Amino acid sequence: MKISCLQENLAKGLSIIGRAVANRSTLPVLSNVLLATDNDRLMLTANNLEIGINCWVNAKIEEEGAVTVPARLLTEFVNSLPPERIDLALDEPTQTINLRCAHFEANLKGIDAQEFPRVPSLDAGGEIINLEPAALKQLIHQVTFAAAVEESRPVLTGIRAEFQHDRLAMSGTDGFRLSTKNIPLAHSIDEPFEVIIPARALAELSRIIADQEEPVQIAVTPAQNQILFHLNNIDFVSQLIEGRFPDVSQIIPKGHNTHTVLDTASFLKAARVSYLFARDAANIVKVDVTPGEDELVGGRLLLTATSQELGDNISELEANVQGDGVEIAFNAKYLIDVLNVLDSAQVALETSAPASPGIIKGVGDDTFLHVIMPMHLSR
Amino acid sequence: MIVRIVFHIDLDAFYAAVETLQDPSLAGKPLIIGGDPRRRGVVASANYAARAFGVRSAMTTARALRRCPQAVVIPPRHSLYRQVSARVMALLGEYSPVMEQSSIDEAFLDMTGQLPAPAAAPETARQLQQEIQTRLGLSASVGIGSNKLIAKMAGKADKPGGVTCVAPGAEAEFLAPMPVRALGGIGPKTAQKLAEIGVKTIGDIARLPEEDLSRMLGANGLLIWQFAHGLDARPVQTRRRARSISREITFAHDVYDAALPAETLKKMSRKLAHRLQKRDLTARTVTLKLRYDDFSTVTRSITQATATNSPADIDRRARFLLAKYRNQARPIRLIGLSVSRFVKGVFQPPLF
Repeated sequence: MKISCLQENLAKGLSIIGRAVANRSTLPVLSNVLLATDNDRLMLTANNLEIGINCWVNAKIEEEGAVTVPARLLTEFVNSLPPERIDLALDEPTQTINLRCAHFEANLKGIDAQEFPRVPSLDAGGEIINLEPAALKQLIHQVTFAAAVEESRPVLTGIRAEFQHDRLAMSGTDGFRLSTKNIPLAHSIDEPFEVIIPARALAELSRIIADQEEPVQIAVTPAQNQILFHLNNIDFVSQLIEGRFPDVSQIIPKGHNTHTVLDTASFLKAARVSYLFARDAANIVKVDVTPGEDELVGGRLLLTATSQELGDNISELEANVQGDGVEIAFNAKYLIDVLNVLDSAQVALETSAPASPGIIKGVGDDTFLHVIMPMHLSR
Repeated sequence: MIVRIVFHIDLDAFYAAVETLQDPSLAGKPLIIGGDPRRRGVVASANYAARAFGVRSAMTTARALRRCPQAVVIPPRHSLYRQVSARVMALLGEYSPVMEQSSIDEAFLDMTGQLPAPAAAPETARQLQQEIQTRLGLSASVGIGSNKLIAKMAGKADKPGGVTCVAPGAEAEFLAPMPVRALGGIGPKTAQKLAEIGVKTIGDIARLPEEDLSRMLGANGLLIWQFAHGLDARPVQTRRRARSISREITFAHDVYDAALPAETLKKMSRKLAHRLQKRDLTARTVTLKLRYDDFSTVTRSITQATATNSPADIDRRARFLLAKYRNQARPIRLIGLSVSRFVKGVFQPPLF
């Protein structure tokens, strides 16, 4: 193998595949990056067996070939090089690559490319579904934060993706809150199906979609154990999580006694301020909703956070309240998380009782819905 | 070496005494503090009038009432007992800064250096007893010895209301006639093993060579041998407010399989959850400790945003840690589980 490419292109490619490199693996080759010539381009691959990424980089191919080298070392070395041409040559017998750029030269010891688990490309999959990249990013953004980070229930670290006839609905829950959102598919599909995708993989996908404008192509492998996303010059593959996802329709409350509408930005700001105090007191923030008395005196929502040691904080917000007043306590972090991802100017809080789940949604947006279980105060 | 002077203070029939203070008309009547006999309640405590009929702690209330039908049964009011206990402990703290509360109604005081002369110990103990009686209306028994073991055993020798002092040097002699079961660390199984070789009293144990006892009882052998000679080096420890609750166990044999550790964690989770619930606490962090046959030890923890005190939650987190971090290549010698990062009085209930 003998190739040359620009430092900027190689550095960018390495940063895209970087998160798919295994950190500590029992399989040493997984800490490496696969460099392989592919027609007139260089393909970089990383695979930690949870996610795998192929990324193609423009290069001048003089001799075809493939090798794997330590990803971290290669990335750090390439990042320190000047933005010039890099010449890369593999010495087959020793599996060592020689890199030259300006007055720098390095030899990196590699492992045979045969040992590297390849990342499948889109043609390995079944039916291909097209999604608008900005909508997919928004979908991921509004759902993944509610998934469990490192849970003993692995299924909750995943996002349920339901491919319906003409929509894709995603749901994430850590057992205490639930976020669900759907977006339209570019064209309808014949056979609806659902899979559970690791939330971490989706967050990573969102990062590498960046500002791509072409549709993202999606397919599930015939064995139903991997999902493939094809972007510009990039394949992204994630393992799927096996198991039964909680029944979302059972979790979403059917009705409410109080419907409170308020300004999203003001609510978020007040929640952030209350968190300064709440974080010292198990994150509890009390929400006190009072309906308006008449046309002149409108409704309001009080946010209260009290820390035994630090003091307390009250924020009063104007609100349009329909129904009864209510006092309910939430984890301030959960409120901030959901208000952070809402893109509607006004937010609706629907509650029925202090111990029953509350719903948060954007006014005028019926594709997004968030459910939070309130906190219980023993005294 | 300085001879230590340790007091053990034990409040007599504490729960019953507190209830009698609340309602003096109960004085002298057989009194049982315990759960509802119709709901399989058990006796938490009984006064001496009831004990005279054979009522004992931990027997079912129904059985206690068969032995003493005329007894008055009062359901336990733990928060009240805790309040009164806190007052007693505060009073004890005036006698020595080195105090260890070992239960709601028992405490050790290290009186070394707190007395005008070692010989003044019994007199000081009686003064302390008198003060508990006049200031709080409670009767206490006091044991005095050169270590915690002896102080506690001495206290038991004359209840209620006694002061018993075991002179330094007389420890082994004091223990010798007592049955082996009286010694902390000897349960029914060990007692039976000992009985099989004709060892019935603590004195019998003391006459055995230490090696024989260790061979028979394993790691505990040395400790029991020392106890039998009246030796106990454990310091009186002033306890800070616990920041974690933990349990651990050394397996009798190094464990290779997966079932036993999982089962052990399940039991520990239940106990830890119970202790959290009793203190109205929830915990955010669960920590697993593993020691392998080569004594290498790892601790791994998981912290979540939501605190819990449910046995199932703790167990699930513990087994998650076990599955993720256990070194399959080595057998496990010891397993431990702890919960920490407490949150008081609040609870995030699950959505489903």
